[in-house]
Amino acid sequence: MSDLQVVLTNTAGVTSIISFWIFVASNAFKNWKPKILGSAFWVLLIGFIALTCAIVARGIEAQRFPLSNLYESLLWFAWAIMGAYLWLAATLNHAGVWHLGWLASLTAASFFLYGSWLPQSQHDIQPLVPALVSYWRQIHVPPLIVSYAMFFLSGLSGLVQLWWGGRRVTVFGLIFTILLACSAIALGTFSQIAVYYLQALFVGGSLLGVIFSWINLKKVKTEAINASREELYDDISYRCISVGFPLLTIGIITGGLWANHAWGSYWSWDPKESMALVTWLSYAAYIHLRIHREIPADKLAVVSCIGLLLTLLTYLGFNTLGFGGLHSYGQLK
Amino acid sequence: MSKKLSFGIWSSVKMSVILIALTAATILVGAWCPQEGQVGREKVFEAFGKDNGQIVINLGLADTYHSPWFLFLIAMLSLSMLAASFERVFPRLLTLKNKMPLLDKGGIEKLPFHKSVEYEAEPGTESGGKSLDEIESKLKKKGFNIIREGNKLTGEQGLIGRLAPSVTHVGLLSLLVGVTITSWTGFNGFQPVKLGECLSFEDSQHSKLWIGSLPNWQGRVIETRRENHPTGEPKQWYTTLAIEDKFGKVLKTAELSVNNPLTYDNVDIYQSSWGIDSIALKFNGQKQTIPVNPMGKRFAAFLPLDQDSVMIFSVLDQKSDLRIFAKRSNWEAPKILTEIKPGQSATLGGVTLTYDGIIPRTGLQYKRDPGIFVVYTAFGFIMIGVLLAFIPHRHVWACEEQNDNKISLAIGGRSPKAKIAFERMIEKIIEPYEKLQIAWQLKNQTEKIVDEQIREEICQTSK
Repeated sequence: MSDLQVVLTNTAGVTSIISFWIFVASNAFKNWKPKILGSAFWVLLIGFIALTCAIVARGIEAQRFPLSNLYESLLWFAWAIMGAYLWLAATLNHAGVWHLGWLASLTAASFFLYGSWLPQSQHDIQPLVPALVSYWRQIHVPPLIVSYAMFFLSGLSGLVQLWWGGRRVTVFGLIFTILLACSAIALGTFSQIAVYYLQALFVGGSLLGVIFSWINLKKVKTEAINASREELYDDISYRCISVGFPLLTIGIITGGLWANHAWGSYWSWDPKESMALVTWLSYAAYIHLRIHREIPADKLAVVSCIGLLLTLLTYLGFNTLGFGGLHSYGQLK
Repeated sequence: MSKKLSFGIWSSVKMSVILIALTAATILVGAWCPQEGQVGREKVFEAFGKDNGQIVINLGLADTYHSPWFLFLIAMLSLSMLAASFERVFPRLLTLKNKMPLLDKGGIEKLPFHKSVEYEAEPGTESGGKSLDEIESKLKKKGFNIIREGNKLTGEQGLIGRLAPSVTHVGLLSLLVGVTITSWTGFNGFQPVKLGECLSFEDSQHSKLWIGSLPNWQGRVIETRRENHPTGEPKQWYTTLAIEDKFGKVLKTAELSVNNPLTYDNVDIYQSSWGIDSIALKFNGQKQTIPVNPMGKRFAAFLPLDQDSVMIFSVLDQKSDLRIFAKRSNWEAPKILTEIKPGQSATLGGVTLTYDGIIPRTGLQYKRDPGIFVVYTAFGFIMIGVLLAFIPHRHVWACEEQNDNKISLAIGGRSPKAKIAFERMIEKIIEPYEKLQIAWQLKNQTEKIVDEQIREEICQTSK
């Protein structure tokens, strides 16, 4: 990895952390808040530009499309999270979107940290295995990574929506569940704990956490309700899914086309592709429920958080929690 | 009047969502549990232990995607999708040409988002309509199709987005058709083939309900090799196949590699894996082939010499040297004896060892898929459908009423997607008229104050 690439990637990582703290610090300065929030946006934009350059530099250095292992996919994910937030903030004219801004910065920073802790072999530019030597790689993988980022943002928007809907117990329940799932993935990546315990931690924790959060939807702190913000984040959540769902569909289908081109079967029930189908089905259910107004917005917000957990399981869980399969390129062990 | 189709519960959204959720949960179980058909029974036992593994197999969890429960769910989901498509999704296409009704102020104020303003008409304007002209022009610039009748207008944007559910459902139903055609007429399989041997289709797999036929030709492996990265990792595998008829006449010769399949007679042959079957040696001129097994990046064979020592042969690919090691039980690691290039010899303990080369084995996957055209068309429809869903479908209504010198302007609409951006657009459109309203209100208030002051002055003067 060249020095330029290291500098650019570190710049992106550091700016995401700085922008997170600027978002947080803005609460302490009520008079200057708009200006401080504006600066957080610009700092994140600098990070986004630096990361774009880092990815391009890696591609030039590797002389291939730079998306072939877990580390590179994490860079892409952070890039998509930052880009998607900047897009939302720009199209919605910054107003009130900053509640999502600190979450987006925190997510990007967490993924940078996760990527930086991976073994050196992941950071180094490695030759491709024969199965990955195909133009289909650049068609199949980027839409998937961007869709995962959009679903992440949708789930985070769901959390903010529930917060402004006064459903504080549900929010804390869901945050705890997401942290538990992230811990399982971190332990699966960096420890030698048996995968069965980690699978149980992820799946069991998610099931219990979601049930707890769903039951507690009725507990509403009425004085904390801010209907306009609740509506704004409901809209953002749906907007993210509206972008993520077509991308996930394109990613799954192009994966099928590649698989058929490479080994003669567009669908082989590989664990990762099956999991992507589960995620697709869950968002298809969300869209049906939304269009036909079958359940209220607060429950849809919980569904978007369930989607976040499924996305986490599809993207990182299947490689780190020992599910195996054909998509082992993201695995470390 | 035509009677509307009704499939009751089968076409309901609740039923669809329940079936989707159950299918997703079942697939999740299948993704978590090693599938016997993919990884073999040993992996199931390895994951769960012998006793629990047997229970998992008996419960059908190790063959989730062929279990009666999963097939039942797929059948129910297909029925639900068919019912919903014909009852709700496709009939909506007929409503695309329907014109939206024009609404008066009362109707607009019932919309999910609306704004109303009142302001003073410009002197000399009696019929009004100026504000609607401006709104019409602004909406047209934003790509709305406008219908206007007098002082009422309605605009629509993103009509094409309404095609999304129909196009996606056509794609999903076509996918079912394509998969059925493949299942009833197609076949597939995998065969490791040694250099010089033939790929045949006798052991291919196909469904029980099968009306297809197998080819009467075979593919002879006339060359197969591996290309490496400088680090020794495999870069690409190649196989040259000669397609022969049943009399051995060569019909076609072609090379295939990973991601570059060979197609002949609607059968696709794929390079799936590559390995070394054995190494060809001569011991003092006597030919021997020794089978090898993968060991890390290399392939190796163990030849016991006596109870205490073993000779190890190790090779990477067709071009690499053959490394020969010896290992005794009291040695910590094997010791290298010699390296021999392909076609060359070495003498070891009075025996002349000639390395003739490797006998490679290429892993070939094959399939005939007559439903693939329908499946690919279905993929196309699904992708177009979900992309169309990205386009927000929006409706705007506006009306203007003039009463003496007062103009009442109402504007409202709906946008299921990107609601906030839509509301901001409407707010921006009505902003100039809100300013007029404020100016008029200020003017009225000022006049009122001035009137009161004059009245007070008159009162004081009269006192």
